[in-house]
Amino acid sequence: DGVAVLPAPQNLSVQSTNMKHVLTWSPVIVPGEIIHYSVEYQGEYESLYMSHIWIPSSWCSPTQGPECDITDDITATVPYSLRVRATLGSLTSAWSTLKHPFNRNSTILTPPGMEITKDGFHLVIKLEDLGPQFEFFVAYWKREPGAKEHVKMVRHGGIPVHLETVEPGAAHCVKVRTFVKAIGRHSAFSQTECIKVQGETLPL
Amino acid sequence: LRRCVISLDMRRIEESFRGIKNAIQAKDTFQNVTILSTSETLHSIKPLDVCCVTKNLLAFYVDRVFKDHQELSPQILRRISSIANSFLYMQKTLQQCQEQRLCRCSQEATNATRIIHDYYDQLEVRSAAIKSLGELDVFLAWIDKNHQGTSAA
Repeated sequence: DGVAVLPAPQNLSVQSTNMKHVLTWSPVIVPGEIIHYSVEYQGEYESLYMSHIWIPSSWCSPTQGPECDITDDITATVPYSLRVRATLGSLTSAWSTLKHPFNRNSTILTPPGMEITKDGFHLVIKLEDLGPQFEFFVAYWKREPGAKEHVKMVRHGGIPVHLETVEPGAAHCVKVRTFVKAIGRHSAFSQTECIKVQGETLPL
Repeated sequence: LRRCVISLDMRRIEESFRGIKNAIQAKDTFQNVTILSTSETLHSIKPLDVCCVTKNLLAFYVDRVFKDHQELSPQILRRISSIANSFLYMQKTLQQCQEQRLCRCSQEATNATRIIHDYYDQLEVRSAAIKSLGELDVFLAWIDKNHQGTSAA
């Protein structure tokens, strides 16, 4: 009896932004059928010392869509091998393995979102919450010739932080970038935003 | 004299260990015997020897303990993998210190780690691996204390 062979998933790739990593692949199509997929990974440790060991992904063993959030599996700054196979009932495809192992130090770091407000004469900043791996490098200065730039490290996003007490009528400007210690990299700076104590956020 | 201080995501490693500690320690059939904990010498390591002892104990875990332990539970396997790969990364960052000759090994440092290997060899290999895994918190606490400027992000 001819056993139908299930094709292996193709075009595996990882999209990684701000330490969120998603593995995607081209779906396997069998008309009228629902295909499931299983994802497994090997860190560099496994590939060096225990190459027979493949670990089922936390969220995608099995899964239905042609993608998998592997963020919780990629927990060290070493290369990770990833593989996927399709299943349909008792039929399973061959494994497809990501061509190049993925290392989280290649993640794209985007400038963080920020919200600047004033509370009386206090300049307050609230930064985008990007998760526990992110610290924020905030630079701020009074908008006048020769003004000194001040710097503040903010450990967590999502919480309003007092930056400075300002003089009435003076405009102050702020820019920020992220830093991820686990990979030793920082993002580009955000756009500069300026605010006048009595006024609204001024365009540059 | 500059010291070798390595950058670590200790928060994630400690989190991984907390998730397996009870399950691993429950499999430890020699409760009255210890491998790392008996080495009071760990606490008497001089600052200059910290790099060497860190390097030696990372190798102890990477080359022996994680390899000797066979795990069937995917949940536990994931967390051990997370720790093992983090230790591998730490070994790489220590490599840079070695190249800058900041990782010398005194006789005391060598003795401290040899004692641990000796204790490990006195047990059957699976039991020794389980016990050493269960005592990872001793090593993690020692790393945290001695690589102070680099604790969790």
